[in-house]
Amino acid sequence: MRAFDWIQPKTLDQVLELLPGPRDTKQRDRVKLLAGGQDLLGELKEYLVQPEQVVDLKSLPGLAALEFAADGGITISALVTLAALESSAELRTRSPMIAEAAGSVASVQIRNQGTVGGNLCQRPRCWYYRREQALCIKKGGAECFAYGGLNKYNAILGGGPSYIVHPSDLAPALVAAGASAVIRGKKGERRIELERFFTLPSEGSVLRENVLAPDELLLRVEVPPQTGWRSTYLKFRERSSYDFALSAVALALKLDGGTVREARIVLGGVAPIPWRADKAEAALVGKKIDDASCKQAAELALVGAEALQYNGYKIPLTQALITKALRKLS
Amino acid sequence: MTRELLQDKPPREPAPGKKWIRVTKVVNGIDSEVWEEVDDVQGPEWGPRDKLRLVSRAIPRVDGPEKVTGRAQFSHDVRLPGMLYAKVLRCPRPCAKVRLDLDAARRLKGVVGVVELGVDEVKWLGRPIAAVAAETPELAEDGLRAIVASYEDQPFAVTPARAQVDGAPLVNSKGNLRGLSRNTDTSEVDAALAKAEVKVKGTWRVPVQHHASLETHGIVVDYRGGDEATVYASTQGTFTIPGDAAGRLGLKPNQVTAVVEHMGGGFGSKFGIGIEGQAACLLAKETKRPVHLLFDRASEFHAAGNRSGGEHELEAGVSRAGELTAFKARVTRDGGISDGAGQPQPYIYAPKVAFAEQRCVHTNLDGHRAMRAPGHPQASFAMEGLMDEAAYAIGMDLVEFRKRNLPEGKRELYARQLDKCAELIGWAAHAHRSKWDASNAELKTGIGFGLARWGGGGGKDCRVEVRIASDGSVEVLSGTQDLGTGTRTYCASIVAEELGLELGQVRARIGRSTFGNANPSGGSTTAASLAPAVKHAAWNAKRALFDKLAELLGGEARNFACGGNLIYDATDKTRHIGWKDACAALGPNGLAAQGEWQSHLAANDIGGAQAAKVQVDTTTGEVKVLEMVAVQNCGLVLNELTARSQLNGGMVQALSYGLFEERVVDPDLGLFLNANFEDYKLAGCKDIPKMLAVFEDDPRGVIGMAEAAVIPGHSAIANAVRNACGVRVYEMPLTCDKILNGLIALKKA
Repeated sequence: MRAFDWIQPKTLDQVLELLPGPRDTKQRDRVKLLAGGQDLLGELKEYLVQPEQVVDLKSLPGLAALEFAADGGITISALVTLAALESSAELRTRSPMIAEAAGSVASVQIRNQGTVGGNLCQRPRCWYYRREQALCIKKGGAECFAYGGLNKYNAILGGGPSYIVHPSDLAPALVAAGASAVIRGKKGERRIELERFFTLPSEGSVLRENVLAPDELLLRVEVPPQTGWRSTYLKFRERSSYDFALSAVALALKLDGGTVREARIVLGGVAPIPWRADKAEAALVGKKIDDASCKQAAELALVGAEALQYNGYKIPLTQALITKALRKLS
Repeated sequence: MTRELLQDKPPREPAPGKKWIRVTKVVNGIDSEVWEEVDDVQGPEWGPRDKLRLVSRAIPRVDGPEKVTGRAQFSHDVRLPGMLYAKVLRCPRPCAKVRLDLDAARRLKGVVGVVELGVDEVKWLGRPIAAVAAETPELAEDGLRAIVASYEDQPFAVTPARAQVDGAPLVNSKGNLRGLSRNTDTSEVDAALAKAEVKVKGTWRVPVQHHASLETHGIVVDYRGGDEATVYASTQGTFTIPGDAAGRLGLKPNQVTAVVEHMGGGFGSKFGIGIEGQAACLLAKETKRPVHLLFDRASEFHAAGNRSGGEHELEAGVSRAGELTAFKARVTRDGGISDGAGQPQPYIYAPKVAFAEQRCVHTNLDGHRAMRAPGHPQASFAMEGLMDEAAYAIGMDLVEFRKRNLPEGKRELYARQLDKCAELIGWAAHAHRSKWDASNAELKTGIGFGLARWGGGGGKDCRVEVRIASDGSVEVLSGTQDLGTGTRTYCASIVAEELGLELGQVRARIGRSTFGNANPSGGSTTAASLAPAVKHAAWNAKRALFDKLAELLGGEARNFACGGNLIYDATDKTRHIGWKDACAALGPNGLAAQGEWQSHLAANDIGGAQAAKVQVDTTTGEVKVLEMVAVQNCGLVLNELTARSQLNGGMVQALSYGLFEERVVDPDLGLFLNANFEDYKLAGCKDIPKMLAVFEDDPRGVIGMAEAAVIPGHSAIANAVRNACGVRVYEMPLTCDKILNGLIALKKA
């Protein structure tokens, strides 16, 4: 990696001072924020980013709180580790889906180090993107090499002009829980539904995966009370020991005597963002979970899916995961 | 392959006092066997198995504590005063004319040495073309990036398919597809196929696998000018280092000492110093400072060898009674710029008429190297798949069909091993023994089998010394290297056994070229070569000690025996002496005895069978291996724990090969996409099934048993998948996309 200055600010204001201006997108990679470092380190080593300054966030006060409100709400600050989420009995009671998603990330060592903020803001794993030599569209090049290349791990939904998949496990679970992101920039705080935090390559900049401006950072995620919801996160990996998802399903259901009152289905590993399957959600409302409703939901969730040359298997795989998740909660 | 070179019988009758033995010769990890005439003399014996105290028992490895506490020093860990860190620049193109301008790199602060590695035209992706030595690893990397390189791209082919299209760029001036087999007369086999009652055929493919040694390739050279150097090497052959390094340093081989205290895996890929070692030596010679050059992981994937891929087009005729009547194979090896490892067909089973054509296809990628049982796992995958297809075609029990087609001379062995595997995996209670499960169940269970063969014999290249000091301490010395297989431990345990001592009383000193010669560890030849020499040295030391004590105590040395730290006259128990007192009597010089290979203490020829039980989720394509069983004959097991680890490790490595591992190179960009441990997937602990390793009772001497263990596991898994759900995956690894696509195709059919 290229040599950089290592900065350890004491306050959030000091961090914000270091960041470029809100519209200064060209300067975005001049300063990189480091939380757990599990994603950034790989980017540095492969020269995907060559910052002049790396700002260590770990010593900032108040950014590692995991709080459970009396009304059932959950506040997860950006520096909370994945291990802390995974091992919180209270979280597992309030939202099994979030705890399961945290526990499914990578390996024990990485979960001990990796943070919620870093997990949500991590860059794609696409193997073309991750090779310095391949100047792909995510890095300012003209072409998505995966589109006509070796695309077994790439997107079947929401792709174009880039076909990355969002690698986060937490993101689908938190979106399914209706979480909001609290963002801080030079001009103050703003709050946005987490679902709207992530951007498709066709919507926002193809170089980015979320709405953060160059002067902003993610402070915390706020999860509304999950009372009455049952939930689960199912992740399919090629290798059980540690791996990113080939496909994943975050499912939350409000059931009333076996009948679905509300449903949230968010897919991971298949689209450039956590993919909300709203048609499938709507179709489930008022139904019991049985073979017919599972089949219908699984089919509706994948409406619009377009397979590239090597990733067609993700369609039946994702449908199977949705069915398994529905059966598990019924 | 090379085994076919061996004649069944010795060339002539032995001379008086001599006998003929089969000796394994290994060159670059590829083993072959030859006949040798040796003295037919009586020497030490391993003794009855039930009387052994240490040898063959379960002994934790003596260097275990050092390794788990991090005290063990691998070459990577070596730090020397004034040492420089070096890194290599890899050619980023598969085929290119290269021009380098090193000036800017040389001028960089902290960069001490820069060398070109002498290539104008690079023929394979990732070939090291320059190296930089600097005060820190980071500065060395800055130095690499300061090299101004211009690459004039040449057309390339990085996949076997691209290398075989019309007009493909020539990787090798003699052609990309080279038929190396001479026999092209297929009339006999074609006639047998035409007459066959039932025919089966298919094309099986195996990807390129990487050795993935946890310690990467490389050396640390301690040379500061002058006429001596020490090389700390991660190698499978201590004695393959000094000559190689001396050549680059401008020294004589005996001026270079190789040190291999611990090394982190080689699997056939680490002999000699390689390009990386040459670069380190050139830098040390230029800077006159110690140089640390061990590959980073990406370089390891690009430029440290691999297991050849291959394509096996097989066709067989089979009678309804269960006999393979005809077999025809065309094997195309994928060895990058090299010829690829021979992948012998028909593998183990014995069709009545067989024909095999071998050829290789060249690509602009790193050449293959020997890897744990070179060629055999590839051949096994195809052949075992064909065996199951043939059995299904005639509706015969998969085990029974195998037993009917075993090779002459090995029928009893393999039938027994197959039966044992079948018993342990629960074959009799399995519902689908001659057809796969065609039900609509979501989760399905299947069982598969495979066989293995290997030589694993020893040879005469080891010289061992045992020293007994007057303070009672004992050392065994050999230049050999411990690949993590437990060599150091059995060196100590054999000596302790022979001298009637406890394990902790003997210290094994190995991994240094100033100690006695030892063979490189290739072809599973280390144990069978070294252990007999250790035994002989200990036996000679004991006899020398007894001679000395007979002078001291009276009695006859030949009646002396030892045990429990005591030496006594077996004919007169009142004549005895404690170990410490006996050693003190040796005087300040103590004693030293040499040992050499004893043919009667070693043997060769390994056979094994494995079975796997898998569960397939037919909705997701997930393959979960539930159980694996390995049954193998091993001669004398030197240490039950490390032997078990070899069998378990073989099963793990085969499982990983079968389910996950594959080199992925983009054919258009010429870019290696998964040269890291994220995308090149190795099995981890959660992927490992319940494993059962069984050694058969085997009265023979020591045999190397490591390679056979890795041969059939993935074949058994692939067969178990087919048995479970009907999907035959013809191309490894068996990932869920292939299973799901196969299930969809089955449903349509």
